[in-house]
Amino acid sequence: MKNNIKTLAIVTFIIPLFSLMVSCTFDEVVDPNGPSVDGVLKNASKGQLNELVVAIESTSRNGIGNEATSNGVLGRELYLFNAEPRNTGDLLGKDGLQLDNNSFYSVGSWNGNYRCIKNINLLLEAVANTDAVNESEKNGYIGYAKTMMASELIQILKSYGKARLDVADPENMGPIVEFNEGLAKARALLEEGQQSLSSAGSSFAFTLSNGFNGFQEPSTFSEFNRAWAGVAAVYAGDGNAALTALSNSYLDLAGDLDIGPKHIFGLGGGDQSNTVFKVPGLNGDQIIVHNSWIADAEAGDLRVEQKSALRTNPASQDGLNGTHETRLYDSDTSPIDFLRNEELILVYAEASILASNFQDAEDALNVIRNSANLPDYSGAQTAEALTAEMLKQRRYSLWSENHRMFDLRRYGLSNTLSIDRPGDQVFNTMPIPLPETY
Amino acid sequence: MNMKQNFWKNSILLIFLTVPLLLAAQGTVTGKVTEGSAGLPLPGVNVIVKGTTTGAITDIDGDFEILVPSFPSTLVFSSLGYATTEVKLTGPTVLSVTMEESATGLEEVVVTGLASSVKRQNLANAVSTVSAAELVGTTSQSTVDGALYGKIPGVNITATSGAPGGGFALRLRGISSINGNNQPLIIVDGVYYNNVEIPSGLRFASGANRGNEENSSNRLADLDPNDIQNIEVLKGSSAAAIYGQRGNAGVVLITTKRGKSGKTRISFSQDIGTNTIAKRLGVRPWTAASVESAFGAAERAKYEATMAENGGLYDFEDIIYGNTGFITETRLSATGGNDKTKFYVGGSYRDEEGIIKNTGFDRFSLRSNIDHRISNVFDFSSSTSYTRSNSSRSFTGNENEGGLSYGYTLAYTRPWTNLFPDENGNYPDNPNAAGNSIFVRDNALNDDTNDRLVQGMTLNTNLLRTDTDRVKIVTSGGLDYLANQTYVYVPETHQSQVRPGPGGFIAVGKNNFTQLNTQIIGVWNREAMNGSLDLTTQLGVAYLYQKSNLVNSRGSLLAAGQTSVDQSVNQVIDQFRSEEKDFGYFGQIEGNYKDQIIATLGYRMDKSSRNGDPNKFHGFPKASLAINMANFDFWTLESISQLKLRAAYGETGSPASFGSTFTSLGASNIGGNIGQSVVGSKGDALVKPETASELEFGFDLGIFNNQLSFEATYYDKKVRDLILTRALPSSSGFTQETTNLGDLKNTGVELALRAFVFDNENFKWNTSVQWYKNRSEVTRLAVPAFAQPGAGFGLGLGTFYIQEGQSATQLVGNLNLDGTGIKPTKVGDVEPDFQMGWSNNFTIYKQFDVSFLFNWKQGGENLNLTTFLSDLGLVTPDLETEEGKARLLMPANAVRFVEPAGYFRLREASIHYSLSKNTVNSVFGNTVEGVKLGVSGKNLFTISDYSGYDPEVSVNGGTGLSTGIEVGSYPSSRQFFFSLNVNF
Repeated sequence: MKNNIKTLAIVTFIIPLFSLMVSCTFDEVVDPNGPSVDGVLKNASKGQLNELVVAIESTSRNGIGNEATSNGVLGRELYLFNAEPRNTGDLLGKDGLQLDNNSFYSVGSWNGNYRCIKNINLLLEAVANTDAVNESEKNGYIGYAKTMMASELIQILKSYGKARLDVADPENMGPIVEFNEGLAKARALLEEGQQSLSSAGSSFAFTLSNGFNGFQEPSTFSEFNRAWAGVAAVYAGDGNAALTALSNSYLDLAGDLDIGPKHIFGLGGGDQSNTVFKVPGLNGDQIIVHNSWIADAEAGDLRVEQKSALRTNPASQDGLNGTHETRLYDSDTSPIDFLRNEELILVYAEASILASNFQDAEDALNVIRNSANLPDYSGAQTAEALTAEMLKQRRYSLWSENHRMFDLRRYGLSNTLSIDRPGDQVFNTMPIPLPETY
Repeated sequence: MNMKQNFWKNSILLIFLTVPLLLAAQGTVTGKVTEGSAGLPLPGVNVIVKGTTTGAITDIDGDFEILVPSFPSTLVFSSLGYATTEVKLTGPTVLSVTMEESATGLEEVVVTGLASSVKRQNLANAVSTVSAAELVGTTSQSTVDGALYGKIPGVNITATSGAPGGGFALRLRGISSINGNNQPLIIVDGVYYNNVEIPSGLRFASGANRGNEENSSNRLADLDPNDIQNIEVLKGSSAAAIYGQRGNAGVVLITTKRGKSGKTRISFSQDIGTNTIAKRLGVRPWTAASVESAFGAAERAKYEATMAENGGLYDFEDIIYGNTGFITETRLSATGGNDKTKFYVGGSYRDEEGIIKNTGFDRFSLRSNIDHRISNVFDFSSSTSYTRSNSSRSFTGNENEGGLSYGYTLAYTRPWTNLFPDENGNYPDNPNAAGNSIFVRDNALNDDTNDRLVQGMTLNTNLLRTDTDRVKIVTSGGLDYLANQTYVYVPETHQSQVRPGPGGFIAVGKNNFTQLNTQIIGVWNREAMNGSLDLTTQLGVAYLYQKSNLVNSRGSLLAAGQTSVDQSVNQVIDQFRSEEKDFGYFGQIEGNYKDQIIATLGYRMDKSSRNGDPNKFHGFPKASLAINMANFDFWTLESISQLKLRAAYGETGSPASFGSTFTSLGASNIGGNIGQSVVGSKGDALVKPETASELEFGFDLGIFNNQLSFEATYYDKKVRDLILTRALPSSSGFTQETTNLGDLKNTGVELALRAFVFDNENFKWNTSVQWYKNRSEVTRLAVPAFAQPGAGFGLGLGTFYIQEGQSATQLVGNLNLDGTGIKPTKVGDVEPDFQMGWSNNFTIYKQFDVSFLFNWKQGGENLNLTTFLSDLGLVTPDLETEEGKARLLMPANAVRFVEPAGYFRLREASIHYSLSKNTVNSVFGNTVEGVKLGVSGKNLFTISDYSGYDPEVSVNGGTGLSTGIEVGSYPSSRQFFFSLNVNF
């Protein structure tokens, strides 16, 4: 009897128990669904660095759609008529509503831009901690990274008027700074980036997408860097610095207005689509052109018919109306420009006004006017008049590309915007997202 | 058959045989025990000579023989589920004893350890048990969680969708986690049952923000409620402590029907029913003038054209939600066996159509449960079930620009717009929204299919049996394998999909979930102090393994009319895998002194691969004490048959959710190059489990032989180290972080009153009233107050807001109510003030059964954002009233959309008629034993101030902290059934 019990106990208890206990020291758990962040920070391979490079280019598209539409609504360039009621409520300050610092429109761009900046910081740290690339290759990575970071910072400053600069260490971040300090940082990054690019050899150790065709080498990418330096200088009111920078960029007063690096889009896995595209004629999700943009256009301005079309049925939602809808992009994979020659010409005109080179400014504005089938500028050659003309040309050349709200803000003209419904308000700065204020 | 053998074979409890002295008065009593209602022999009944340990057990034919040491004497007959009966004897005789099914439930046993149980009357916790009769006895039920509504004190159930096939949030004693799992652990016959909500990927077509806005159902829907014998609900940590780190949200123990030895009984049931919308909101009573004032003269012309053509407007509520769904359910089961082997075999098929055409749910379920006694040493039981369920849920809930969700689209659809197809089958575009709801109803699909095998197995090894000691090893395990497929199809001709838009959408999900659990437990029963003290000691180990693999393949830009994902230009595949393991030790000792004082001490240690340190053990103690005052010798109050004072303490845990420890990169591609970007969520490599401790105390009172019983319980449950996902300053590159950040507590009261008001032969009435309330409070928050991510739509419209010192379920919006500036301001709380259930059952002339169940939820608020949408579309039904017009002028903030969500509802009602035995025999002969007919209904009426379809609603599914926010939900339905039940 005793032996039987022993055997039974062994069979039904001891053996399974023992095997369970043995198998029950758990190994360290690794994420089966993706590589870890820490893994790329030490001794990264060139392949890992290049995956970060791609991620930076890819995530530089983050927030573009929201910047174009939400800031476009704030700047009364357009309405977004879709299922999201806050597009016609909060953004227009309907009935006393204030912008919410915890809604998609206020957090979307910020999150997207800083996601890209995080990838840039990861790349900078990874490059500093690896022997997989040589010195000039390192400079290529750094020059690319700093240029892209400046570009993101400028987007943030345009939307929010402020930015946080020290963000490399999530546990120990710097303060949120005002516009001028943020812009100074962007300009400094561009100078550092330019330095690195100048000692990056003749080619990068990485490949960017076709969107950067023509800007794939350190020497040509640095023209992109200088284009941003020109933009940043103009935003800082420094016309001469802008003119110097632009002279080393791809600015070409006689050239194709479309030249410049582009964000490209795709519909495959992990890719992004162009969300500023809307299906022609579609109801329920449409970018409706603000009627004032149609009404204020000079007769014959080609840009109006290039960028918009009359709807068969006028759109109305939430007490707002519009006759035209967007035609800015042909499809949801159409590219969106970082900075095309057209914008650089306008920046050049602005820099020239700031530097009191009024004739240069007028010539540049005429390039733009003529391209839109408009006759030469006939107004006064004064800073005020040329500035007004420059802002008007920007309004039509850069419609729905996240410029209008910022242009009016930096020139103190936001209060000139029309109020479409009684009780609406004009906002010209997105609130800093709630979690930043903790 | 030899009596003595039978005795041993049937022995379940330890019986002492004392060899009696050969007294002159000694004599043998024999007899037969039968079951009251059917007169069938009742095996396994304990027969004990009162005041002694002399006993016997009835055999398969209900016969027994017992040597009574002296006369006069009393025999006590007891059996699980039956009222204990006493028979006085004056000498040796032949008895015929009839046992009635126990009405009080005090004799039923309740599982308190992993391999032990105690009688309800000795229980130190308020464990609620729902019997098969309570669960499905009144009316036909689609899912288990839906069937539990209003039947258990302390349980809050919310239907997250009115779609057939469920979608329920179950909350036991409030929420136990802000961000993690709030659904209780579900164990079916010892198998850890996966109750996952599986997203389908339809958000990529609809623009919904997250998988939890896709209105999937939770997979408890795969369990046929009719298979269930009873459900025990361990509501708090004190009762669930032995489940350690999976017990934080409570434990629901489900026992399915098992065989009874004796004649093979066959039961056939057929339900036929209908589904109709429970409440209609109506159409705004438009006039030509109000159309013009709302939309202008052009729209007035369209309105007048439609009025002229049709003589009225289109009632889209009726067109979309007005379908009368047909419900059928067929069940067939057989049970029987002998003293060695018992079986239950059952199958059922339920087919339920929804109130939206082309929506529905069907479930085919097979079960076979077998118990077999190999020898006196070994016995095993096996529970096997296979389920195949399909549902077509169509499109409801939140979205953006998809034009798919009915609630969303109809909020913008004007009732003079003709959306019906023309004679060529072409559907017109909806001029005011992104989709044509009639097109979506007729042509778009959101389906899922589930194949599920659940197998449980328990092997008992009785190592030792002496007069005072019994030792057994219980080895048990289970497997739950779920193969889920989801399929979403939006044709390329759908308004928001037409080229050059996305060009049609298909999402095919293939999702596999495997769960294995096993435990080995040694149980030692000892009778000490001459049988006065009963000690049960158990020690064991438990292991849990879960693995999932979710693959979602999506295609857009479809070939015309094609429905395969490869017939598309743009293809995207997502994969998510997880693997997790838990391991734990536990021990427990229970002592029962003469049914007077019952005490338990236990401890469990668990580790989990989901925690930061996968090999660190976390301890979960428990202790409880119950004192049965009425069982003491000094108790002389005859009228009070039970007075039990009880107190229990226990701790449980909840490990971090899978992935909380990782900070990973995800694919972010451009131009055909693969990139790796931070994904936004920052992990915590040191994350600890959430742990809860609960103190519960109360008393049970039984009056007039428990004809009237009252149960009162107070609990105080504290959850520490809450794992919260909080928004990070996203300038860090991370938008959120999941880590241990706070504590909360729930306190509550549960009262239950049960009475057998009348108990005559021809009229029986029993009633039970349950009343319960819960209050939660965030007692510590290591970070500033924040809006809960993934629930609600930001502070602008109102959201859940985690704030120290406040309720965990408060609704808060950015408001300036006091004129001191805009700040987060509380506008409501989804937690009700209290809830009540009142159920009644009448039996008239033994043949009529009338039952009904009322629910009353007092207080609690919802955010009704459907109204927000329909106000924007200007189609809210009340916009011709002053109240509606005033609301339209208010800014769109939380205070505008918060609504009281209390209600009073007739949840279930039924009348059943059993044919008399004579009628049955004269019509069907002797082969049929009973025939029962009935009519019943669900959701028969609701009184509520809530303006939406149903105050029970959730746009964010059943997990997390999510119920009570409405955006375009699937309306609730009212159901009527005719049922037929035949027993052979």
